[in-house]
Parts: sequence; structure tokens; C-alpha cells
Amino acid sequence: MEEILKVEGLTKTFKQPKKLFKKAEGPETVVAVNNLSFAAYKGEIFGLLGPNGAGKTTTLRILATLIKPDSGNAHICGKSVVSEEDEVRKKIGFLTSELKLEDAFTPDYLFDFFSGLYGIDKSIAQSRKFSLFQKFGIDAFKNQKYGNLSTGMKQKVALVVSIAHDPEFIIFDEPTNGLDVLTARVVTDFLQELRADGKTIILSTHIFSLVEKLCDRVGILIDGKLAALDTLENLTKEKNLEDTFFELYEKVTGAKI
Amino acid sequence: MKNVLLIIKKEFNRFFKDRRMILMLFLPGLLIFCLYSLIGTVMEKAAPTIPEGYKPTVYFCRLPDGFLSENDLKLLEGKDFETLEEAKSNVAEGTLDIVVEFQANFTAAVEGSSRPEVKVYYNSSVQTSIVGYTLATGILSGHNAFTVNSTPTEKFDLVDEDEQVTNIFAMVIPLLMFSLLASSCISVAPEAIAGEKERGTMATMLITPVKRIEIVLGKILSLSCYAMLSGIISFLGVILSLPKLSGGLLNLGAVSYGVGTYFMLFGLIISIVLVMISAFSVLSTLAKNVKEATAFIGPLMLVIILLGMSSMFFTNPSVGLYAIPFIGSGIAMSAVLSTTASALGVVLAILSNLVLTALLVVLMGFMFKKENIMLKK
Repeated sequence: MEEILKVEGLTKTFKQPKKLFKKAEGPETVVAVNNLSFAAYKGEIFGLLGPNGAGKTTTLRILATLIKPDSGNAHICGKSVVSEEDEVRKKIGFLTSELKLEDAFTPDYLFDFFSGLYGIDKSIAQSRKFSLFQKFGIDAFKNQKYGNLSTGMKQKVALVVSIAHDPEFIIFDEPTNGLDVLTARVVTDFLQELRADGKTIILSTHIFSLVEKLCDRVGILIDGKLAALDTLENLTKEKNLEDTFFELYEKVTGAKI
Repeated sequence: MKNVLLIIKKEFNRFFKDRRMILMLFLPGLLIFCLYSLIGTVMEKAAPTIPEGYKPTVYFCRLPDGFLSENDLKLLEGKDFETLEEAKSNVAEGTLDIVVEFQANFTAAVEGSSRPEVKVYYNSSVQTSIVGYTLATGILSGHNAFTVNSTPTEKFDLVDEDEQVTNIFAMVIPLLMFSLLASSCISVAPEAIAGEKERGTMATMLITPVKRIEIVLGKILSLSCYAMLSGIISFLGVILSLPKLSGGLLNLGAVSYGVGTYFMLFGLIISIVLVMISAFSVLSTLAKNVKEATAFIGPLMLVIILLGMSSMFFTNPSVGLYAIPFIGSGIAMSAVLSTTASALGVVLAILSNLVLTALLVVLMGFMFKKENIMLKK
């Protein structure tokens, strides 16, 4: 299997914000990701599962080159996220609620603008826009301002714009969050199509059923460390994913749910 | 370069497709025009009145005996000068109100068939001179035997219009331009940078393969164009309202700036806008939202306006002063408008602004790479 993503000993620490007129409580720094290593292969949907604060978003931000790790490295399609950011950015698509599109522009303009920034040839971009807009039904509202669209419409546009440059490696952070069942179905079907096309996908979500439906392998992050990593079948055995997750969580943290 | 143009185009789309932004482009200029015209009208009404019984001072040149009645002469106070030219220069300086010059052989000409001319010289920038002129022409009117100020080629108003206008311009325009350009810059910089950070749209651009410095350049150039356009519209508002503001005494038609002056002025305005936008953009990059950016920029804007104003206090500035950003620009602009500028001074002022802009752009490029600055919540 062709290795598309290789994460080696990734560590990231954040300083706690200082509060004026108030003595800071707790540690000055927080280890968000602690010596994380895993790999993802071509044509695979890799699920990243974990509670809030487990380090999922930090990991995805490092992979998307938005932030740098304190130590360790990750290679996407052989390019380092630490030293070859521009090359990595050409190869990845990143969909997250953290990244927004400008309300003042239309989906049509946004697609053209971002495909321009990715250096896509105009004629290729136009044909890609045509097929993606048709697939997601964006044609009907392509000339409306993004700010006037519903949450579902916005998510479709954001998804399409994030893959305007046909990336090899796609990061989806909670892609179905806030979507109605119909739009959520369109998105999940599309993720499967992308996998069939040989794309590698990292999917971060809280929704166990989504992981069970889509992911080939799952990594469970707890307190910045990878608590488990395996195929869905090996991980769950005869239980469901939710029970497996909570069992693991109690074992790692000692907390009783 | 292609990416810089794409970002400029995007910013222009944002500016010029937003009705509020277009309104904000024209509103300051319109408001300035209305406000200054209103102030001018009020000032005109409240202009100091000439004391009752004031007799305008007059020098008569070749006044024929018995031409004016005793009553007429009581209204004016005669003054003596060696020559007509000396008297006229006193009018120009404001120390004499009017000069009334009768044509040579005036009486003979009146008795003959030709209509001689009486010339009344005055200074429109001196209130008492206008009173004297009105009085003299009143006394002389109603005679068919001679004409008053009929030579079309002669200039009877001895005010030095060029100097009057250029001095006012040199004093007022730098201060106004600094204030207007700073206001234009503050209306766009926080929104375009801190606003994009706040809304999360900046991060979307940061994950594309576009170089950080290209994003910075695209932002700075597009913001500068908008701010300059807004500044020029405001400048036009000022220029158009100046005649009213000066109580109608200022004749803008008298301004005779050459192409070089406009060229230097344009260069200065562009470089001032660039450095202002860059400075405001650096602070907007540091801020996590528009509110914080505006709070950061406010004090800097005041400092910049004060530095621009400082040109008023340098009567004989050394060349070195031109190389200080903002101060040098104020001095250079003032010198350009009073037509006393040296090319070296103006070039130094523009260069110092451009160097500072380049340094700020590089600084912003570094800042755009810092996750704790760009992703600050």
C-alpha cells in the first residue's frame, strides 16, 4: 500500500493565556499532542476519534500547515509539513468549521478565486466547477451571496471549494456538523466517491456511526496520545465502536463514565 | 505576481460591490464640502466689521482741482506718496486702502470728445480696501464724461493672489491631507486584515500555496488604492469648499501650479498612503479582531497627524528632516504647495516613506508566518 501520510513523533505544546489581575491556576503549558505517530494509505479513509481537547484539531492543523509542531514531523505525499509547507499545501484539501469563506462573495466567484490561488488552469477549473456544482446542486444558488445561504448550502460550497484543486490528501474536520440529514448523506456519499477515486482522507468526528460507516482504520486520541489504532473490525471485535471507545477512555484516563 | 493580482482583484470586489464601502468612499468628501461651506457662510456673517466713521485711506494721482466736492473728500483720508508705484505697492501690502489715478490731461479730455479713464486700485484681501473701493467707485459713478476701470487688460485688484492662495494651501493642505488620508486608511485596514482574521477567512487563504508575502502585498496595494481614492475625493471636497471657507476672498483661479507640482504632490500622496496603510495593517495583523485593531490604530493615527502638522513649525527645514517619515512628507507637501520645494527634498521624503513601507511589508510577511499572531482568538 502506498503511504500518503506519515506522522512521526508529533508533539505540540501550547502556552496557557495569562490572565490579568488573576493568578493563573494550573500548569503554564498544555501538551495538546504528545509524540503522535501513525500513517495513512492511498485510497483510505482514516478516522480520528477522540473527546474534546484530545488533540484532534491540533493534529489536523499541523497536517494542514496552519501550525508547526514543537518536535516530530509529518510527510504528506513525501513532503514535510515543517520544511515544505508550500508543496504540502498544493496536495491537501482542508474542510473545517474553523476556516470560513467570505460572506460577500458568490459560490461561483469563491471557486474561481481559490482555484486561481491554487494555480489551476482556467479551463480545467471551469470544467471541475461545472461537475462539482452539478453534483452538489450548487448551480441553483451559485450567484447568491455566500452569507445569504443556509448552513447546508454553505457546507456544500465550503466542501467544493476545499477540493477545487483536486487534492491527493483531504482533511475533513466534522464535515457533517450542523447539516440536515439530506445534506449529510450527500457529503458522506461524496467521501466514499473520493476514496473510490484513490484519495486519502483523514476524518475527524464525534459521530461514531459516521466512523463505522466510512472509515477503514481508526485512531483514537486521548489526552494527546494515540490510545488505539487499528482497522474498525480489529478495534471493535464484537462490540460497537461507541462501547469500545468508552471502555478505552475509562482504561486510559481512569475516569468513570 | 499573479497571486498578488488575484488578491487585489478580490479586495476590489469586496470594496466596490459593497454599497456601504462605496458610500464610505464618497461620504467624507461630501461631508467636508458641506461642513466647510457652512463654516465659511457662518464666518462670512461673523466677519469683523469696520469701525463706524472709518475713513479709507487714499492716494490721488493727478486729481483735477475742484473735481471732488467737500463732502466727498470728507469721506476719505488722503495720503501722500512720492510716486504712483510706491502708492500701489502700499495697497498691495495693505498699508494703504486705495489709489485713484486720473488720466493725464483729464480735464482737457473731458472737455474734448474722448472719454478719459479713472483707475481705482484696491486690495481684495483687505476689508477696508474693499470699503474704499466701493466708496470711490460710488462717488465716480454716474458720469458719462469718463469711465472707471475700463481697461480690460489691467489688474486693478493688487492682491498677490498666487502668494495668498499658495500660502493658505501650504499651511492647511498638509494637515487636511494627513487627516483625510489617515481617516481613509483606518476605514479599511482593520476590516481587511483583523476582520478577515476574526471571520476565519484569513486562515482559509493561509492554507493555500500562496506565499505569505504575496497575500501581504495584495492587501497593502488594494487597500492603498481604496484609501487613496477616498483621500482624493475628500481632497476635492476640501478644494471645492475652500472659496466658501475663505469668505469668497480666495480666488482659486489664481493658483497656477505647474505639472511638476502636481506630479510631486501625487508622488507624496501615494507614498504617504502606502506607509500609513502598511503601519495600520501591521497593527491590524497584531489585533485579534476589528475592535482591537481600531483601538490599536487610533493613537498611532493621532501621532501621524501631529507629525504631519509639524511641517508648520519648520520655517527653514534642513534636508535631513525630509528623510524622516511623516515629518518629511508634511514639510515636503507644504514646500510643494508654496512652490518653494526642492526636488531633492521631495525625493527624500518619498524615498523614506517607501523604505519604511518596504520594511513594514517584510515585517508583516514574518507576522503572517506566526501561528500565534495569525490564529489568535
